[in-house]
Amino acid sequence: MDFGLTETQELIKASAKEFLEEKSDPAIVRAVADGDSEAIASLWKDIVELGWPSLTISEEHGGAGLTFSDLAVLLEELGASLAPTPIVESSISSWTIERFAPDALKADLLPKVAEGDILITPAIVERDASWNPEDSKLAATKSGSSLVITGEKRFVAFAEQATHALTLVRTDYDEPALIVVPIWKSDGVEQSPLKHSSGVPVSSLSFNELEVPETNIIATGDKAIEAANELIAAGGVARSAQLAGLGRAVVDATVEYTANREQFGVPVGSFQAVQHHLAEMAISAKQVNHLVHSAAWSFSQEGYSVDTAAQAKIAASDKIAALCWTAHQCHGAIGFTWEHDLHLYTRRALAWKTDYGDSTFHKSKLANAIGL
Amino acid sequence: MRFEFTAEESNFKSQLSAFLDDVLPNDWHGPADESRDDHWELNQEIKKGLAERGWLVMSWPKEYGGADSSPMMNTIFAEEMAYRRAPGHDRFGTRMFGPTLMRFGTEEQRTKYLGSIARGEIQWCQGYSEPNSGSDLASLQTKAVEDGDDFIVTGAKIWTSLAHRADMMFMLVRTDPEARPHKGISLILVDMKSPGVEVQPIVNMAGVHSFNQVVFDHVRVPKANLVGDLNDGWRAGMTVLNFERSGIDYAAWARAALEELIDYVNSDDAEVSAAKTDPTVRVKLAELHMEVEAARLMCYDVSYRQGKGEIPSSEASMSKVAASEVYLKVLDYGVDLLGMYGVLEPGSDQAELQGRFFKMRLFYTSGPILAGTNEIQKNIIAQRGLGLPRK
Repeated sequence: MDFGLTETQELIKASAKEFLEEKSDPAIVRAVADGDSEAIASLWKDIVELGWPSLTISEEHGGAGLTFSDLAVLLEELGASLAPTPIVESSISSWTIERFAPDALKADLLPKVAEGDILITPAIVERDASWNPEDSKLAATKSGSSLVITGEKRFVAFAEQATHALTLVRTDYDEPALIVVPIWKSDGVEQSPLKHSSGVPVSSLSFNELEVPETNIIATGDKAIEAANELIAAGGVARSAQLAGLGRAVVDATVEYTANREQFGVPVGSFQAVQHHLAEMAISAKQVNHLVHSAAWSFSQEGYSVDTAAQAKIAASDKIAALCWTAHQCHGAIGFTWEHDLHLYTRRALAWKTDYGDSTFHKSKLANAIGL
Repeated sequence: MRFEFTAEESNFKSQLSAFLDDVLPNDWHGPADESRDDHWELNQEIKKGLAERGWLVMSWPKEYGGADSSPMMNTIFAEEMAYRRAPGHDRFGTRMFGPTLMRFGTEEQRTKYLGSIARGEIQWCQGYSEPNSGSDLASLQTKAVEDGDDFIVTGAKIWTSLAHRADMMFMLVRTDPEARPHKGISLILVDMKSPGVEVQPIVNMAGVHSFNQVVFDHVRVPKANLVGDLNDGWRAGMTVLNFERSGIDYAAWARAALEELIDYVNSDDAEVSAAKTDPTVRVKLAELHMEVEAARLMCYDVSYRQGKGEIPSSEASMSKVAASEVYLKVLDYGVDLLGMYGVLEPGSDQAELQGRFFKMRLFYTSGPILAGTNEIQKNIIAQRGLGLPRK
């Protein structure tokens, strides 16, 4: 057991922290939530220059070839800063492509992702809000050497910024297929933005006879389901890493506030009632942190552990949201205001809770994994 | 980051597990705590067996009969023992008193006492709490008055696990009633057969005799039995508590109990139909599995940090709180899951899982109370870990 960070990870953490303190302050987070898409573009430009989208892409395809654990360390800092940027979306899409796509598709897409020329975001969920890949119904009809796609995907993060979506369709020969589709200024794709509590762009995508070459297919049949399941597990762990960072940031902010806010002539943080709230919050944050590292590590091994991936997302979803609510209690009335930044964290935590399978979804997966 | 044991660690774990396969009776389910009085002979047999294999005090330095094993190895040892609910671990001698004596005792004391602990020949008990001094331990009143080459000890200790089986007690006494509470305390060693020592059994709410009240009526204790300097016992005494404060036992007991419930739900013999048909059972057991693993990782983290030479005080408190609470959650759920059978006591006709869950739930009410209540642990986390101001 080694709970420490490697030298590379320490470096990632320190440089991310420094960069994000300047480039993702609460004013930027608020601006993006208010619809400032230029702020997203400018942040993304810097992030591409830092090489973050290429972190886990293999060196063969123009990436840095780092591990999922390394990615998790970066994501914790992104979560702590609430950075409105599609690193999770991009990273897990390229992760899935690297693991499952045919060589030609990998060679075509991954170097472009690494360079920031394209941005791929997952589009899995449909009207029924299910993260079970078997439930995907988006219709794809074979036409020559193309698939013609018609139907809807919902809750697609950063679809406004993405050039491509990694989506799951059902073909007219009744097989699931995982496929990369162009969505940027495509005639066959219409976007409807949602007002989403994450404070970043989230949209529904309507496909109207969008023609996509079959060479864009990552996997079909059982392999497509397997790939989609791994995408969802990886996305869950990635979101959990962000939630871990977010939780730590909220604990820190609440310690800071209660250590300085005075009532009865003393800091309110000297009262046991408040201290015990904070001790419990700190335990939750620490537990999520450990579970995320354990799950991320399993992705660095052969295959990954369904068990630990599910544990991480269950804990991150439930414990970090609960921790945020307790933070509001510790902040008293000021934490109930629009002006105070605490609700930015809470909104994000509640949104991320639902992403890549909520706690109930992953409990069911976990139950299977432990032999129930 | 690495979340697996080394080859050496895995190998040790298998060896220990194989030894326990041999020594534990078939279909062994407890008692899960060494301070339990039943199965005392098995306790002694296992303790000797562990000593013969060099495992009982493997965490100790080589010069005292140990193997200088890492904190992670010690955790693996404690975890496996607890997971198998094996008695004979002797935490009072090996984990608490021994290391304290190495740090604070005289050469003569080390020579006299450490060998018998390492060989599994002696039972120690811990005399800290008093009827009027629980969480506020520094208020303790049992006094030791100097008289020639002896102290005369008068007072009472309480909640003393295994006092009725112990040969010796390490105890905190007040040696300077005028000094401020923390400054007038000394650590002394008392032979339990000394005239004037009376052990009065206390039966706990689970119906088990595991702890006692020990009354001292003018008990003579040689001054040679003083550990550390006179009136400087608080420092040594608190060192013991640092050794004591880990959640790994609870995390392992919780895992063992949870696995029993999973097996029960999967078993054809389960009488309770809801265990099979109610879909919320799966969800709840999965959630508990996550909680158990989270607590387990916290304990490993403590060992990892200790291995790097840190003193992870706040993390140790976190592990104790998390693990003792999750164990109760598992036991609570077990009692609930068994429905009407859940309240049948051990020995009852028709008891499912031999009434174990009900009894364990009652017994481990003590978890969040003993070795520093979880409220005290949360104070430590908030003040030492998070740096919040003391009142």
